[in-house]
Amino acid sequence: MATIGAHGIVARLPAGFEGRIFVRPSALGSTYPVAQFGTFPLPDDIGDFGSGAVNLMGPEDVFATLFEYGPESLGTALFARPGRPASFAPDDFSPIVLRRGLVGQSGTQWFFTEAGRPFSFYAVLGSHVLRGQLVPRVNTLLTSLALSPVAPDVPAARPRWN
Amino acid sequence: MVALVVVSTFVVLVLGVLVAGLLRSHADILRSLHELGVGVGDPATAVDGHRDSAAAPPAPVSMGPTAGTPQLGDAPTVAGVTPAGDARAIAVTNSGRLTLLGFLSSGCATCVAFWEALQAPGAMDLPDGTRVVIVTKGPDREVPAEVRARATGRVPVVMSTEAWLDYQVPGSPFFVLVDGATGRKVGQGVASTVPQLSELVRRAEHDREPGATRRRPEPVSLDGPAREAAADDVLRAAGIHPGDPSLYPSTLDDVFPFGQPAAAPPGVGGGLPVRAD
Repeated sequence: MATIGAHGIVARLPAGFEGRIFVRPSALGSTYPVAQFGTFPLPDDIGDFGSGAVNLMGPEDVFATLFEYGPESLGTALFARPGRPASFAPDDFSPIVLRRGLVGQSGTQWFFTEAGRPFSFYAVLGSHVLRGQLVPRVNTLLTSLALSPVAPDVPAARPRWN
Repeated sequence: MVALVVVSTFVVLVLGVLVAGLLRSHADILRSLHELGVGVGDPATAVDGHRDSAAAPPAPVSMGPTAGTPQLGDAPTVAGVTPAGDARAIAVTNSGRLTLLGFLSSGCATCVAFWEALQAPGAMDLPDGTRVVIVTKGPDREVPAEVRARATGRVPVVMSTEAWLDYQVPGSPFFVLVDGATGRKVGQGVASTVPQLSELVRRAEHDREPGATRRRPEPVSLDGPAREAAADDVLRAAGIHPGDPSLYPSTLDDVFPFGQPAAAPPGVGGGLPVRAD
């Protein structure tokens, strides 16, 4: 089981998952950490919410992104939920909750505040019909995440000179 | 005098045993290197991942046909950091495709050509769909700025000393070919030129296990009229035909007949991403 961590986000990747945790270059204003996970090969140049990746999913695949928002979002109604959901139920997924609606897929999105940081967790199932077997994989991923209150701008996990 | 001769003889015997042990240990090391495909008959060649530019070029070693061969074993996930300091994990067994892992160093003269070639895999004439990943040692053993200077962003570059240990990489350049359908390595070794590497990969692809079929069909991305037609098919299959009232909602209750998603607080419809690319 591989473990990756950066920017205050650590993931113990379940079998079959790969992922990345990154911050986009801040050419225009501030950017914040994004963590993306998938059970299929993730290209490096995909959008924050999976554009360029969800169209590569097979019916048995799962994609998820953990997106951090700026501190101005703290305390707002959208992020009032304390902590991520403990788990999802198949009924939490719906074809209408997709940024890009692809035939057969479904998704869910939740906003919350954890470790003093405002996040959104967005997950896509390759097949809504197979949600009964795919949602547990999302739940396993969800519980594998550890979020710490490390300030996003602190390059704790960046390479250092020795 | 007799005592001196006895002691000298004993010392000589002990030293002889020690020398024999050292020679045997040396032979074991050479044999292990030979099995790994490097340092064959060339003890002068460094194996610490930083071959000197004046050292002899690496001896080419065949990659495959060895699909499913027990000694090559399973292919673990490659996890580490990117040259920019972000985290990255590549699962090489989550598709039916081949993955070519190129273990390179920033300071290795032989690696220069492979840095360029592997980041333009289209020009290497690799088997269709082959995924290329470059793996360097971690930031504790590499210079991130130099790796960053060589990375173009076209293929994933992961810095991970752990991956070098997992794949038992003896030095750079070193290549491992993984069959995602079986989750196993199908070849590993070194190549001295890019065309030689391409040929070795193609040969390994050709010699894959007959049963090593794709885990799933390649996904098809629909767009434009095809996407519209597919949506129509799904709607028809669900009993929703042109003119169906559900296609013309007038209130939120029409859109969410079973209540709004729990993720969206009142007043926030649908839970759609606020910020997305």
